[in-house]
Amino acid sequence: MENRKLRIALTKGRIEEKAVSLLEKIGYDVTDLREKGRRLILSIPNEDIEVVLAKAADVITYVEHGVCDLGVVGKDTIMEHGGRFYEISDLNFGKCRFALAVKKGTDFFAGYGVKTVATKYPNVTRNYFEKKGIDVDIVKIEGSVELAPLVGLADGIVDIVETGTTLKENGLEVYEDVAPVSARLIVNTVSMKLKQERVQEIVKLIEENIQ
Amino acid sequence: MLFEECAAKREISERLTGLFESSGYSEVITPGLEFFDVFNGYVRDFPQEMMYKLVDGKNRLMVLRPDSTMPIARLAATRLRDEALPLKLFYNQNIYMVNPKDSGRDDEISQCGIEILGGQGDAADFEALVLAAKSLAACDDDYRIEIGDMGIFTELMAEYECDPKLAVNTRSWIETKNLPKLDEVYSSDNIAESDRAFAEAFKALPILFGGIEVLKKAKEYLHGEFFDMKLAKLEKLCRDLSEVIPEEKIRVDLGLLSRKNYYTGIIFRGYVEGYGQPALSGGRYDRLLGDFGRDAGAVGFAVNVEAVARVLLQKDGEVFKKSPDVIVWSENPVLALKRCAELIASGNCAVNSVLESAEQTREYAKAHRIKHVEIAENDGNITSEDM
Repeated sequence: MENRKLRIALTKGRIEEKAVSLLEKIGYDVTDLREKGRRLILSIPNEDIEVVLAKAADVITYVEHGVCDLGVVGKDTIMEHGGRFYEISDLNFGKCRFALAVKKGTDFFAGYGVKTVATKYPNVTRNYFEKKGIDVDIVKIEGSVELAPLVGLADGIVDIVETGTTLKENGLEVYEDVAPVSARLIVNTVSMKLKQERVQEIVKLIEENIQ
Repeated sequence: MLFEECAAKREISERLTGLFESSGYSEVITPGLEFFDVFNGYVRDFPQEMMYKLVDGKNRLMVLRPDSTMPIARLAATRLRDEALPLKLFYNQNIYMVNPKDSGRDDEISQCGIEILGGQGDAADFEALVLAAKSLAACDDDYRIEIGDMGIFTELMAEYECDPKLAVNTRSWIETKNLPKLDEVYSSDNIAESDRAFAEAFKALPILFGGIEVLKKAKEYLHGEFFDMKLAKLEKLCRDLSEVIPEEKIRVDLGLLSRKNYYTGIIFRGYVEGYGQPALSGGRYDRLLGDFGRDAGAVGFAVNVEAVARVLLQKDGEVFKKSPDVIVWSENPVLALKRCAELIASGNCAVNSVLESAEQTREYAKAHRIKHVEIAENDGNITSEDM
């Protein structure tokens, strides 16, 4: 079998630019990554590395199956999606948090009734309330979760909060923090062992350049 | 699964069962439908939600066998309880588990593996490791065998005396090499002075992997008689193994832990290039037989046959694409089958044409890449045509 290049999967979108800057800081030529057009597999000149761009959950899938050796993905996706891989370092960018938000001025835990929580992240929500020992009904929402408490579907939402502006504009506020989120470097378990030297070399370079 | 995939899978299971049989192992087949309770005990807790369940005629809860080790341990403690130990058994059967939907993983996994029940622990561990390495080598040159020890983590946790929930979480963080989380939970601000050594050890386990030299480095983090003994044993095991297989194939990972609760001692994995998950896994389980009522230690491993077959097929696919050498047609079916029998007896793969005419047989031969067509005439003559 041909000895393929080491493949890194990057999450498209919010954390992509930061990840590319990190690769640039290491000293890789990232022109291809910046002028990618519609291409999904990109090479780094003079290096034995290629970069794949994918949606967050897919980064996990590609790394888990071993077709990509390393991946950069948000902790939010890892918490929701789970999977078998090594979560080797915190890249310290793409920082935000999961929070429980409610309509301004309401007390989420008031009374004995079972509360309803709307979220795009049912697993994160379930684990959080399970840990607290609180029984809640979870409603999966695909789009703007902020709407659910406003129209009376839910008592609160669990969502990613960066600045809190969206919440504020819709009359919601953070009730409590659920978990901090940041971008993580993940590694396929077999690549880590079969290509230990090459993988560890890159991991080291990345870790040295984390801001 | 079709044709060459089946051939590759059969080839792998034949190589493995051949290896096990010639090493003196006896075959067992355990029921595909097992009692739920076999997998639901103190030592043997297979996650509920990962088992296919159904009920039998007496309304008892049954599962499709999700693992072969537990049923074999039960066998050794019940039907084989009067057999003298050590018992060396092998199996070649499927297990079933519920994977997350659309994850691209099969819920039916064919495994070929061994169990050594009883015997002197270190000797049995070594034999199991050698056989594991030979199993991988029999399938693919490009393999690695990786060794860890569950006992190191268990002992650390026992000495640390923490809340069981934290213990389970810590195991999972070490297993997934989640260094950020370990750094956070076991940072020196959170940990009392007296427990710093444990914290340092937990943080070190996931990075203690690589060649045999890792075991020397581990001594900086693991102190005391127990750990000295464990590390020395692991080192001896690796050194002994390097007499049998090339040293670069042997890896050590002290962060290698298993969700399977029954493992107590060494634990090992096998990797082959081209498959993103371990192709072999195994370890020592000294409490499982006791759980079924027969006090004995044991060690074993299983190879994921389909995974290895897939790798073999990718590398060497052509070998498994077989088509018959000859197709025989005759108006008289007796003559055709007689001619087939002659051809087969002389070492050919001959197929009897059940088509209506010689012309149809020629078309069929072309479509199926069969190189020769033979027509058996009523007068006993045979005409052979190259396609």
